[in-house]
Amino acid sequence: MLTLTSEIRTPYHPIRAGAKLALLCAATVGLFMLGSLGAMVAANAAVAALYLVPGRPFARDGLRLLKPVWIFVALVLAWHVLTHDTRAGLVIALRLTAAVALANLVTMTTRFDDMVEVVLWLLSPLRRLGIRTAPIGFAIVLVVRFIPVLLAKARSLIEAWRARSPRRAGWQVALPIALVAIDDAEHVAEALRARGGFDTE
Amino acid sequence: METATDPVCLEGVSVRFGSRKVLRDLTLTLQSRRVGIVGRNGSGKTTLARLIAGLIAPDAGRVTVAGVDVCTDRRAAIRTVGILFQNPDHQIIFPTVEEELAFGLRQLGRSKAEAREGARAMLARFGRDDWAERAVDGLSQGQRHLVCLMAVLAMEPRVIVLDEPFAGLDIPTIRALRRYLEALPVTLIQVSHDIAALREYDRVIWLEGGKVAADGPADETLARYLAAMEEVDDADADL
Amino acid sequence: MERQITLIALFAALIAVLGLVPQFTLASGVPITAQGMGIMLCGTVLGARRGALAVLLFLALVALGLPLLAGGRGGLGVFVGPTVGFLVGFPIAAFVAGWIVERMRNTPILTAAFIGAVIGGIPVMYVFGIIGMSVTLDKTFAESALLVTPFIPGDLIKAGLAAALTASLLKARPASVLSRG
Repeated sequence: MLTLTSEIRTPYHPIRAGAKLALLCAATVGLFMLGSLGAMVAANAAVAALYLVPGRPFARDGLRLLKPVWIFVALVLAWHVLTHDTRAGLVIALRLTAAVALANLVTMTTRFDDMVEVVLWLLSPLRRLGIRTAPIGFAIVLVVRFIPVLLAKARSLIEAWRARSPRRAGWQVALPIALVAIDDAEHVAEALRARGGFDTE
Repeated sequence: METATDPVCLEGVSVRFGSRKVLRDLTLTLQSRRVGIVGRNGSGKTTLARLIAGLIAPDAGRVTVAGVDVCTDRRAAIRTVGILFQNPDHQIIFPTVEEELAFGLRQLGRSKAEAREGARAMLARFGRDDWAERAVDGLSQGQRHLVCLMAVLAMEPRVIVLDEPFAGLDIPTIRALRRYLEALPVTLIQVSHDIAALREYDRVIWLEGGKVAADGPADETLARYLAAMEEVDDADADL
Repeated sequence: MERQITLIALFAALIAVLGLVPQFTLASGVPITAQGMGIMLCGTVLGARRGALAVLLFLALVALGLPLLAGGRGGLGVFVGPTVGFLVGFPIAAFVAGWIVERMRNTPILTAAFIGAVIGGIPVMYVFGIIGMSVTLDKTFAESALLVTPFIPGDLIKAGLAAALTASLLKARPASVLSRG
């Protein structure tokens, strides 16, 4: 299963997921409360240092994860340069990069399963309200199972279109894709029921 | 009896999926009317089928059918080669039979009315006039296979590639579909695990690990293939 | 119960898969992804509550580190970036779309689904999206609104497709259309 967790081992990997998330929350709040350019530059330097500890390849991966933010950084800077308020623009841009980079760092150094555990733990108070949390863990597993299967079926149908048309697949493939998807879900539900289902808890 | 037909030519074709070499420097000229392709799972047969249909671009080399570069010239390719996949549910796009048959004709450039005409004509040829407005959903597995076949035939290609066309069907249905196929004047290139289906063919190619392991008259190649399969023990099974 | 959970999981997966469909580019040069249509579909097909749950499930997986957002994006970073408002808006958009389809029980599904998809997918979603951008980019509501207007025509097309798809699904697989169940 393709997750964003980095395969490069870092000293951050063994830290408990809950702890990393709590730190991240605190750091993000802090970033949004500080307003000075100096603080933002320092923050970014600190984040950069955190990324460089596990080595340059890791830092490069981190940079790649920041790509979607660059366009906003560019927009903000352009806007502020044009309105002669460059300093404020830099603060915003730097805060953005630091916040997103920190969050990505947690994602890159935490295993998917550990994250799921934290989520289920956070949701456990709901059990006192009578809401069952087991189906949630199950639902997560189901989605992860459905995605590659759905993708494969979508690809087959798109290929079948391309076999008869020189054009790219059009909106018409959406219906058959949805139908095979729903039929697959029926089979899965059936298999679940055959193995006891959810009502027998 | 073999007759010279529109050749399918592969020149130095290689295909790679990531780091895996699926087809290695394949050079073939297929001119027989009935060609079979056998091989183990993972040997590259399915990739070869899609290459000939122009759905995959080779990483090296060229694939032409009747002179048409099927990968780059899609307009001409769809007139020349058609492909029938294994699972009709992964092929049928439109909700009614007529729409499904008419689709290919529209893509060939016919008008909506002409395409409808062509679809109905094809249905009449198979004696299934009443299927026009029927929902594909309500058809049986075998009937859906027939719809896929009709949809490909409607476009009148010179070569039809069949990728395990009979998987999951019962014996009488397979027999009936095979009869339809054998009666066709087009060139058939069938990828199959079903040895019996290929015995009557002119030429059979055995693909192994992306290369040609045997190539010749059907009975020869099939005999060599079956002998080799007997030698494979459980440890090498696809498990 | 099993069917509901599997359908919710399926639609969450559908949002992800729609994010992987290559982008279209409108005549105006604006790229549109199909993912928004998935959000609308969750609402129009599964109804308000279950549709929102499907979207929340999708967001949970994104947060947990799966690159499921259009463009292969994911992880916690997207929740502090400028698009966070849209992410918050996603489940609410699905809820509103579903609520409208459920309320308009006596209207033909095509119309109800279109209205639901348009209202949920555009004004509701964009309000949250614009607020999110304003906060993260430190701009006014109006300024951020300007940035997103080019995407609206694409969303109208998506709403139309979502409505058509919902109507077709009701005909072909009525048991799966929980909004009219």
